Amino acid sequence: MLCEVCFNIGIGARCAICNDERRDQSVLCVVEDPRDIVAVERTREFRGRYHVLGGALSPIEGVGPEQLRVRELLARLDAEEVSEVILCTNPNLEGEATAMYLARLLLPLGVRTTRIASGLPVGGDLEYADELTLGRALEGRRDVGA
Amino acid sequence: MRTGASAAVVRIETVDAGRSALVEIEIAGSGRDQVFRNRQRVARAADLAETARCTVFTPDDLVLVKGGPQERREYLDDVAVAARPRLTATRQAVERALRQRNVLLRQAAGRSSPEVLATLDVWDAQLADAGSALTAARAELVAELEPSASAAYGRLTGADGGLDLTYRRSYEGSLADALAASRAEDLRRAITTVGPHRDDLEVASGGLDARSRLSQGRQRCVTLALRLAAHTVVGAHAGSAPVLLLDDAFSELDDVTATALLRELPTGQAILTTAGSLPRGAVPDAVVTVRDGRIVT
Repeated sequence: MLCEVCFNIGIGARCAICNDERRDQSVLCVVEDPRDIVAVERTREFRGRYHVLGGALSPIEGVGPEQLRVRELLARLDAEEVSEVILCTNPNLEGEATAMYLARLLLPLGVRTTRIASGLPVGGDLEYADELTLGRALEGRRDVGA
Repeated sequence: MRTGASAAVVRIETVDAGRSALVEIEIAGSGRDQVFRNRQRVARAADLAETARCTVFTPDDLVLVKGGPQERREYLDDVAVAARPRLTATRQAVERALRQRNVLLRQAAGRSSPEVLATLDVWDAQLADAGSALTAARAELVAELEPSASAAYGRLTGADGGLDLTYRRSYEGSLADALAASRAEDLRRAITTVGPHRDDLEVASGGLDARSRLSQGRQRCVTLALRLAAHTVVGAHAGSAPVLLLDDAFSELDDVTATALLRELPTGQAILTTAGSLPRGAVPDAVVTVRDGRIVT
């Protein structure tokens, strides 16, 4: 069944992650699908909690903001002490559109909103990167720490 | 495909820079054709672009000049992708963003609620992003094609003056601004009225528009010049010339133009098919005759 807080798949009213008190309550990672949670969890890089949208914006498939759990996300931001929202939708056209839509919605609320970086695969080769990916990687470049 | 047969298979072995590949195309009598590369199914024809680069001449090419802007945009995009396969992603992103935006406009049915406008904003941004990249690539390509197309046209027609190619955008300034400016109109008509899908490649010779002002004979020379220029540009980018496929390409040409075309054909592999006799002056390395679906010689 779906978790009543984040809409992840779980047993009982709340999923294991929402029930885990050691998780950082102040960071929310917004994903399209519960399967994306599994992927992010595998990295062991993220200790916050999640919010599952249930898809991405796609008029072709009849999905607008109303069909996603956007209102639920806003309600959580209202009720919980969240200081950062990480937009972790897919780096494809629909995922980018969804991230942009949410960013525009969240920025006026004063909550820090970040987008996962897109770029080159680790172990990859610049020569074989497509232009969009390489362009994004350049756009998202960062200073090399001393 | 033979009459009554359920499918036909075309098998091609390609060797490029020492690497060989087997390409098989299964043409289905009904349903979708399937393409395999080294026995692996290829999902999109565009994925073959690097394995089997070819320049095709057919009698139907005249639509490049006489047809609508769609034909010329497709020509530009096909050549752009063949020259730089990485543009495939950009081309697909434009098509997808445009479809999403158009569906949204239809769903909005003329209403401009805050909800609709907020969603439209994000699709505009996606389309502007990919669309500007595609437009820039097309404009760059046109500048690359022009000198070769112009020179080839001059030699094919034996006339003074070459060809002027101009990439004509459907908007001025940035695509993002243009989409914003046309929003009210787009909502009313439920269609995207500006963008790369409304651009055109204008071709003129001596100030005369090729589509409306040149004779049909000259228009054929324009299409040949465009194909030859594409061949040169793709070859230069890819490092080796594409295979030339001339599918009954001489059937509609007068003797003078046919001879001129034969002279123009660049070195490299060329495969010519014809239902009649070989064009005069052609010196093939091998002739294969097919009769009743079988190779006779």
